[in-house]
Amino acid sequence: MANKKVIETKNLSKVFKNGDIEVHALTSINMVIEVGEFVAIMGASGSGKSTLLNILGCLDKPSEGDYYLDGVHVNKLNKNELAAIRNQKIGFIFQSYNLLSRTTALENVELPLVYNRTGKFLNPAAHAKMALEKVGLGNRIYHKTNELSGGEQQRVAIARALVNDPAIILSDEATGNLDSKASIEVADLFVKLNDQGKTIMMITHEPEIAQFAKRMIYLRDGRILTDEPIKNRSTKESALLELGLTVS
Amino acid sequence: MRQLFKTFKVAFQAINKNRSRSLLTVLGIIIGVAAVIMTISAGEGANKEVQDQISGLGTNLVMIFTKMEHRGGSHVRMGRPIDKRDFDILQKNAVWISKMSPLVNVGVQAAGPNGYKPTIVYGVNHEYFDILSRELALGDFFKEDDVKTANKVCVIGETTRKELFADLDPIGRQIRIDKIPFTVVGLLKEVGQGAMGQDQDDVILAPYTTIQDRLYGHRRGYDMIMASALDENSVANAKIEVSELLRESHQIRPFEKDDFDVMTQVELQEITGNITGILTTLLGAIASISLIVGGIGIMNIMLVSVTERTREIGTRLAIGARESDILTQFLIEAVVLSLAGGILGTVLGIIGNQVIYKLTNFYIPTAPYSIMIGFGFAALVGIAFGYFPARKAAKLNPIDALRYE
Ligand SMILES: Nc1ncnc2c1ncn2[C@@H]1O[C@H](COP(=O)(O)OP(=O)(O)OP(=O)(O)O)[C@@H](O)[C@H]1O
Ligand SMILES: [Mg+2]
Repeated sequence: MANKKVIETKNLSKVFKNGDIEVHALTSINMVIEVGEFVAIMGASGSGKSTLLNILGCLDKPSEGDYYLDGVHVNKLNKNELAAIRNQKIGFIFQSYNLLSRTTALENVELPLVYNRTGKFLNPAAHAKMALEKVGLGNRIYHKTNELSGGEQQRVAIARALVNDPAIILSDEATGNLDSKASIEVADLFVKLNDQGKTIMMITHEPEIAQFAKRMIYLRDGRILTDEPIKNRSTKESALLELGLTVS
Repeated sequence: MRQLFKTFKVAFQAINKNRSRSLLTVLGIIIGVAAVIMTISAGEGANKEVQDQISGLGTNLVMIFTKMEHRGGSHVRMGRPIDKRDFDILQKNAVWISKMSPLVNVGVQAAGPNGYKPTIVYGVNHEYFDILSRELALGDFFKEDDVKTANKVCVIGETTRKELFADLDPIGRQIRIDKIPFTVVGLLKEVGQGAMGQDQDDVILAPYTTIQDRLYGHRRGYDMIMASALDENSVANAKIEVSELLRESHQIRPFEKDDFDVMTQVELQEITGNITGILTTLLGAIASISLIVGGIGIMNIMLVSVTERTREIGTRLAIGARESDILTQFLIEAVVLSLAGGILGTVLGIIGNQVIYKLTNFYIPTAPYSIMIGFGFAALVGIAFGYFPARKAAKLNPIDALRYE
């Protein structure tokens, strides 16, 4: 029996119109992502990676094609339902962290639960603390965002993406602002979360980081060029070794 | 409900994060609310003082005067003036009236041993003092005989005494009113300034007979008749009775209107109450403008805040906030700010009233409804001026907002 599909797209296309100019950012994207997968998305700048992730993250609507998230036909949802699905089924991670400034790690991680109307998270602080512990920031709970390093801030953002127990974690160049070592830490964190069963999809520019994933989708000019499993995946140790660093 | 509570928390966090800016933002509201409270309270205070003074006139007071009408910018008398014949008829027939005095007044130049001043002489009879319950500091009132024989005697107020006599004892001395010598027989007890700013101690009271003979020139009749009803409960009856007697005396036919006015103390209170009420409303309205200006200040800052927090809004939307969540968050921020301004403004207004009391001795009781108006207005301003920025925030496209630099 096949695994449960988290994401399924059928002939997904996105066209941006700016006056007379049409940009075909995505063309006929068909993909299926199942529970427990860890997918890296690569491609040149402008190849449509972010556009794809925004649509998958229910932040944007496709121009054409169908999108099913966790069995829900997203095309049919209204604004409030989209907000709810973002809130309950998706964990978004951004390149620039997008944490609330001068706010504690805890409050930042609690944020998705603030908007959760299901009543599933009666004690947001407890859930937030657990998420922070998962990303290794159990000792930074009450630090304000401006008191944290870039890597730590990104881990707070990851905790925030985790806290609502989403169907999928979507990361748009989470390591883009980090140095190699911090990037490897984040990639390693993704691996660990994936090992715990989380479905993860991450955009990255860096082949070394992509190498942590299980599967790679390569985009070119808005189309899927290749889509194949990754052999000899990197681990934290192998990646650090390559950098000439030892495991701390 | 739970969601609203959470949104409240979020709004408070945002305000707390920008404490100094928030305080500056509400400054306009603080001043506006304080201004509203202070002006309304001042109006109320003035009103109360006027009312107190009118009450001081005595609750039995009935005033009868010739009807005047504004025509072409000047007062024109409508019909027959109230005169001695009317007075006599009332005195003889009015059973609900206990005391009566004619009143004629003339602007004069008064001169005493130590100076002179322009003032007003009121010509009255001996009962006038009783009707208005005026009291003496020195000497005596003039008597019925003085009125009968038109003696040149007078009772003066404290301000007049100061100007004309300085330190001298005025009793028994002479003053000249428009060059005619009068002997001062009494000095009125000081009553202080009237609420409308007039000096109630700046008076000379003399027998009306004397005034009519010597100073009143060609004018006929009285300016008015002051009367006392038997007691508080007979005022209304007295008014009806006086009206009937005067209509008869003036031979007014049934379908014609009165050519005189009868006003009781209660009516006087109502009329002045209306006037000060209008004044208070006007002042309050002017003060409210400052509140609106304060509201624009809030809108301005909220707009800046929305722009500044575009990415934050984008993040919140991406994380699953609804448009309505963002809208309420920013609305609550605006309303909380303006309500905080309302509270601080109320405190400032009450303190301001106290300070004015200390400085000028003009007691202003802070009117409770002025606080309600100030507060309500502040909340309204918060909602009205917070709505536009809040809507702007809620309508942001999450992707654009996230990408905003
Ligand atoms: N809002 C928009 N309006 C018009 N064109 C857009 C818009 N957003 C993206 N595009 C265009 O769509 C194409 C794909 O953009 P996208 O951001 O998905 O690229 P990307 O693969 O994420 O690139 P990068 O690696 O640089 O982030 C680009 O040509 C871009 O100019
Ligand atoms: Mg991109």
